[in-house]
Amino acid sequence: MSEQTGPGGTPATQERPFRLMIPLWVVLSAAGDLIFWFVAGPHVPPGGMSNVARGAQFDFNVLFVVALPVVLAVWVYMGYAIVMWRASRPGAPEPVGGPAARGNFKVQVAWIATTTVVVLGMFVFGTVELIVPAGAGGGEGPNPIWTPASKNILPIQVIAQQWKFTYRYPTFGGMETDRLVVPDHTTIAFHVTSLDVIHSFWAYQIGVKADANPGIDNVAFATTRQLGTFTVRCSELCGIWHGAMYTYGKVVSKSQFEKWAISTERQLAPNTKDLPPFAYTYTPSANGATGGYYTPHVDPYSKVEHYGATPQHPKVTQPAAATVTTATG
Amino acid sequence: MTVEIAPPTSGVGEVRPPTRGPASRRPAWFGQHVGTALVGMVAGYALGHWIGNVIASGYAHVQGSGENDVAIVLGMVLGVLGWLAGIGALNYPLAKLVGRDSVPRETTGWTRYFRYNLTHKVVGMQYLIMVLVFLFTGGLLAMAIRTELLSPTSHIYGPGTYISIVSEHGTVMMMMASSMVLGPLGNYLVPLMIGSRRMAFPRVEAFSFWCFTAGYFVILSALPLGGFPTGWTGYAPLQTEATAGMDSYLVGFLVVGTGMVLAGFNIVVTIIHYRAPGMTWGRMPIFVWSILVTGVLLATATPTLAVACLFGILDRTAQTAFYVNEHGGSSYLWENLFWFFGHPEVYIMALPGFGIVGEMLPVFTRKPLFAYKVGAAGMVGVGLLSYFVWQHHLFQSGINPDMRPLYMLTTELISIPTGFIFLVGLGTLYKAKMRFEVPMLFCLALYFNFLIGGITGVFLSDVPVDVTVHGGFFVLSHFHYTIMGGLVFAFFGAVYYWTPKITGKTLNQRLGKIHFWMMFVFFNLTFFPLFLVGLFDQPRRVFEYAKNLQTLNDVASVSAFLLGSSFLVFVANFVWSLWIDPKRAPANPWGSNGLEWQTASPPAWYNFERIPVVLADPYHYSEPTEVPVADLAPTNFADAAAAANGGGA
Amino acid sequence: MTETHADALSGLESPEEAAYELRAAEASIWTGSRLLISIFAFTFAALAFAYFYLRSSNSADLWRPNGVTAPTATGAAIMAFTLAVTGLQYYGVRRLRSGTILDWEVAGWTAVLAGLIALGLQCWELTDVPFTPGSSGYASVFTGWAVLNIALLLGGLYWAETLLARHVRLRRAHVEEGGEKSGLLVARVTRINIVSCAHFWMFIGLIAVFFWVFFYVVAG
Repeated sequence: MSEQTGPGGTPATQERPFRLMIPLWVVLSAAGDLIFWFVAGPHVPPGGMSNVARGAQFDFNVLFVVALPVVLAVWVYMGYAIVMWRASRPGAPEPVGGPAARGNFKVQVAWIATTTVVVLGMFVFGTVELIVPAGAGGGEGPNPIWTPASKNILPIQVIAQQWKFTYRYPTFGGMETDRLVVPDHTTIAFHVTSLDVIHSFWAYQIGVKADANPGIDNVAFATTRQLGTFTVRCSELCGIWHGAMYTYGKVVSKSQFEKWAISTERQLAPNTKDLPPFAYTYTPSANGATGGYYTPHVDPYSKVEHYGATPQHPKVTQPAAATVTTATG
Repeated sequence: MTVEIAPPTSGVGEVRPPTRGPASRRPAWFGQHVGTALVGMVAGYALGHWIGNVIASGYAHVQGSGENDVAIVLGMVLGVLGWLAGIGALNYPLAKLVGRDSVPRETTGWTRYFRYNLTHKVVGMQYLIMVLVFLFTGGLLAMAIRTELLSPTSHIYGPGTYISIVSEHGTVMMMMASSMVLGPLGNYLVPLMIGSRRMAFPRVEAFSFWCFTAGYFVILSALPLGGFPTGWTGYAPLQTEATAGMDSYLVGFLVVGTGMVLAGFNIVVTIIHYRAPGMTWGRMPIFVWSILVTGVLLATATPTLAVACLFGILDRTAQTAFYVNEHGGSSYLWENLFWFFGHPEVYIMALPGFGIVGEMLPVFTRKPLFAYKVGAAGMVGVGLLSYFVWQHHLFQSGINPDMRPLYMLTTELISIPTGFIFLVGLGTLYKAKMRFEVPMLFCLALYFNFLIGGITGVFLSDVPVDVTVHGGFFVLSHFHYTIMGGLVFAFFGAVYYWTPKITGKTLNQRLGKIHFWMMFVFFNLTFFPLFLVGLFDQPRRVFEYAKNLQTLNDVASVSAFLLGSSFLVFVANFVWSLWIDPKRAPANPWGSNGLEWQTASPPAWYNFERIPVVLADPYHYSEPTEVPVADLAPTNFADAAAAANGGGA
Repeated sequence: MTETHADALSGLESPEEAAYELRAAEASIWTGSRLLISIFAFTFAALAFAYFYLRSSNSADLWRPNGVTAPTATGAAIMAFTLAVTGLQYYGVRRLRSGTILDWEVAGWTAVLAGLIALGLQCWELTDVPFTPGSSGYASVFTGWAVLNIALLLGGLYWAETLLARHVRLRRAHVEEGGEKSGLLVARVTRINIVSCAHFWMFIGLIAVFFWVFFYVVAG
């Protein structure tokens, strides 16, 4: 077609630009989508050590595969326009007349309809992908409304403070350690809270992110799927050493986990008895801890929680003995 | 005296105030100007600081912390008042209390740019320079950040310095970007585009500018006060525990916010009521539409920020507990108030860019603007929806999990009216006669950049994906692609486009093209790698990162320096073309139909010899024999106005 | 704000253009006052949001411990004086519409006085509260309300006072120069201004009642 219509040359009405653009777009989109889905997709974002991490990867890939043709459509069109529809001479050319200069009602309606359908489709997809994996690894606050089907959930408390994370295992005597070790193929409830400012617990390869707010118990769920090491970073600006607030966690087999947990519980017992009793939240400056208590040595994976049920936080009845130390790790 | 509502048929001429006197005969260094304003600011700060010490130095928390926030805040507030008094912004408001009118003395010559001046064109120019000062300050800070991130482990600054630089960069840039287009171009061009000789509230307009400049000093004062560690979002428990630099942030946003409200207020009323006869809503330039929506957002969203900052100031001075969970407050309160402002703010920064490209595309394609009504409706739609999306910034915060699908929906819905802007752009390009002048290059770049910024926004709105990308460099790239890739590119396009109008001189096109290509290429090379960095789990505002991300970070850093140097080309061009070797621009260099091009360049201070009667929208490039856009010298104003409005104003 | 049209272009304007700009100036004051009301509506909506948010979240059980309340009598007096301003403004405008300028003037000055009393009481109340600002959520929001209310009353009073002051000046000019010198231009715009100011005070009255109810009557 370019031989028919030199730039700005022959009457524009004879030009059929979409004869070139549409095939080009289809080929590029198909190639791009396929390459992405099979080559890059499985690694972006990297890490699939839990159901939610894999879900996030799948969602990202689906969105990318939908988005790429949209981007390419605009680029192909703009590229074609830049090459073909340029003024031939310097200076302001005569205005473009004729049908090309008129508004096209059908095009407008089609554009609006298409974008609306795509957007609503994305919304439905996103909502399903949010609710089915129980919040998709995002923090759901103290009373989660989407909870995992599994009845055996291991609760782990993540305590953020300037500038480190520590972890309490309420079902292992409420021990507090700075090592995050989790069993494989287990649904875990991360209870994220903070002792000072807002942090965010970002366990990257297991796809969990939950803000740590002082005085708030923010719960996020993930079911581990794969052994290995994952990165934990703080992703909410929390002061000058925010950049150094990272650590690593480990997914180990169930038996190894139990071995580790029991031995660590024993090792830490002298420390643990000096800690305030386990609570969902801690108030460092006031009367100690508030929240509900676990009885010691319950079944680690028991249904100690019924997420989403009635008030999860009985009011504190007894003042805790000591103020929470911020140096327990 | 009977104050009858009578038609002003007779006697209008003779009741005018006496004709404006000649330019001030006093030497330039007397009277009120920036110099006296600076003196006022220093004196105000000293006075406020002293009062604060008298009041609060005995308080337990002041003695305990060794830091008297009362004195610092009072110092800043009185410093700002001193600045405003020194420049002369308070003369009239105070004279009014005793019923006096002040007849402002119009100064001429270059000194008027350093004085309190009510002419919208002078205020526009003042804004332009100040916005560039903000932009370059923020840009230098950005390069400082990129310098630190050259290496994952070895450091140039201490962590406190680094976080202060990051926070200062974000805050300065946000303050700048909220006024970047509405301040200079809105104030300068809107009256010209709607055929008005003036603004509705010139004093409010000038006042907004001097608040904006005062805000610059206040936010810069954070650095000598030790900086603040919260980033531009200022999240609360950290805000409450931070040292004196935080007061600069809170007072600074309060002051700049006041300016934003006033600027928006004035321009909205002007657009509604000062359109020339025949300038119906359907003929209004798309740029004016974008400024109208931006003005409404500025005027109504910013008060929330001001109130949030006021609460923060009270927390830090009067020891209230708005944001203190342990004392009956809530850290979520700040997050909600801040983002309720913060999201409309995002569109405050996006819409004017859309307006600029919509204004320039028809000129450089010689075609009418495609789907003009859809485009205008899209801007209004974006503005309305922007009030209902703020909790998408809080998807992992732990509040309202049940509301997440709703906020995901509203956020994704915004992409429909945003898509209208692309419909407008692509439709206008269709079978066009494009000219790749410098402003057009910036327009096309906006479509390229904003496409990436917008599409990645859809990723962020999707809650499951947001779990991965929230709080990381992916978000950072996303909003730099929309704000810098959108607004800043459009702004520079507009500067190249309207400089001949504003100054009567043309910027050098060759240097302009060098500036454009450097900016475009290095912008993309800076921020595209940062998407990947974000996907590979680098959180925002860190000074240490994984070693395997060093290559990508270094590409971004080096590109950032080159991006920064592209602005040197711009400054060189600006100085060279306007002062050293000025070239007289043709009256209408781009062949535009816009009303602003129908008057002299630079316009006389009354803009139009006669109030024009508008006959058509400015995008009539459809037929070779185009309709004149306006009757610039209507013989019978009243009749012509009635006829032009006949179609339905 | 109001007479800015008067610094327009003497000699450059035809009478029709002057009339056109006059209409624009009048309409601007009308729209501007409505926009001003919405600006303050958003301001106080943010305050109301803070109030209800802290009240419903009741962090650390400290929304309003022991049912503590700011001094009820003072609060009622502040509201009453604020409403008096609103009422007097409304009455003044009605009298002005029927041509009785003196009534408007007297009502206006009385309103300013009442407003100053409300302002003074609001300042004094802050020194007289039975709590420290940080002792509870209620105490915090109340402090915020007092500050914002002072700002609102100051703004409203400034507007009302400047109108009266201008009126006095115009009348003096009228008397001194004996003619129709006071002029239609300023007078017409001033009329719109007076009505808009009264509307703004109705908004202030609404705010006063709303927050009085929630701070003193049903404080939760």
